[in-house]
Amino acid sequence: MKKNSMWSLKLNTAALVLIPAAVGINYLGKLFAGLLKLPLWLDSIGTCLAAVLGGPIVGAICGAVNNIIYGLTMDPISTVYALTSAFIGIAVGVCAYKGAMKNVKGAILTGIIAGLVAVVISTPLNMRFWGGTTGNVWGDAAYAWAIANNIPAFLASALDEVIVDAPDKIVTLLIVFGIYKGLPKTLTGLYKNDQEIESLD
Amino acid sequence: MKSISLYEDKNSVINMLAPMTKVIYIIAALIVPFLLGSNTISVVFIGISILVLIIGKVLKRVVPIIGFSSIIVLSVIIIQGLFRAGNVTPLFSIGPAVFYKEGLLFALDIGINILNILLSFSVLVLTTKPSDLIEGFVRIGLSPRLGYVLISVFQIIPQMTETMVTITDAQRSRGMETEGNLITRIKAFFPLISPVVMSSLVNTKERAIALEVRGFNSKQKKTFLNEEHKTMADIVIKIILVFAIVASIVGRVIIWLK
Repeated sequence: MKKNSMWSLKLNTAALVLIPAAVGINYLGKLFAGLLKLPLWLDSIGTCLAAVLGGPIVGAICGAVNNIIYGLTMDPISTVYALTSAFIGIAVGVCAYKGAMKNVKGAILTGIIAGLVAVVISTPLNMRFWGGTTGNVWGDAAYAWAIANNIPAFLASALDEVIVDAPDKIVTLLIVFGIYKGLPKTLTGLYKNDQEIESLD
Repeated sequence: MKSISLYEDKNSVINMLAPMTKVIYIIAALIVPFLLGSNTISVVFIGISILVLIIGKVLKRVVPIIGFSSIIVLSVIIIQGLFRAGNVTPLFSIGPAVFYKEGLLFALDIGINILNILLSFSVLVLTTKPSDLIEGFVRIGLSPRLGYVLISVFQIIPQMTETMVTITDAQRSRGMETEGNLITRIKAFFPLISPVVMSSLVNTKERAIALEVRGFNSKQKKTFLNEEHKTMADIVIKIILVFAIVASIVGRVIIWLK
């Protein structure tokens, strides 16, 4: 039994069909959060779940495809953040591969890491495209306060991102942990890449 | 089944153009102003986009797209107008809040940039059927497997939205509260999301088998169901756009060398 590296680009069909399902879950998460008027985005549940199941590459593709499709159908601004989503997928995939998603503490840690990744990637994007704001009321209020207190724009924008993304990612990863624990083994077994596949031709 | 795409077939000249032409237009509309660092060029592209949208009879459909992003633009205007470092010249004031010229000019730059992005994307999105767009990419070399992934998202999301309505009704009829204080609403989230997630993940297993049975992973070169429509207009427009991009790269290099 040889174990494939987590960076192996060989995507089997099960991994590929996971991607649209994950984008759909992302979409519904966002819809439910809006319907229930929760103060979080909850639009990366699918990406993180795909990353936990299929590894960093699948997670990255999910994230990128998610934002590209949103960009092409509803909100062109989302395309810009495809990079962020992809890296969140990679981060969660690596954490899950190293065994972080085995308990609640690990899930929270993964959430914190994902949040940091989001801040690191999104802040330069925010600064380049619209001067540092994010469009979220609380985050932008913090940005305004920071700028008014002569904090450099880059740090103010990072603060904006942290307020917007860190709680959201932690909650998202906890939800993913809950869902993952409840999945049947027949499903999780499909994605374990430590098996050799014999083909007939 | 409702589609999530904003496309509507208006039988206009723009609908007849190949999708790749419009993709190259987006690239041109974003890169040329960026490389030459000029807002005037962005405004020119905004004008071209609006003209194309009018010819395509879809100008009215742009309004929801712009409305979606108007919150970001508004927040940028307010925050940069009020607080940007380096604001020295006051322009006007509303009550105690003073708006400065530098901040507002910066916000105007950003606004023009955003409008350019939105309108050029709209030219593609409002006039192209999603399956045609993906087919265009696969023709120039995108892996058909990835093309499938992209197309199936367009189909899956309306399916999942309908499932969501059914599940919400079912759970509510079993006594789940969806309105009320924050704790009540948080408690409502899990019973709503779990059935949807579980059923869609279990479906992926069946979908994988169905695809395999239909030769999804076959290494043979795949053929296309539709014929490719290339018109003279496509070729002419593509040449003009590529020329514009190359000219702007040359222009950028010249500016560097000065």
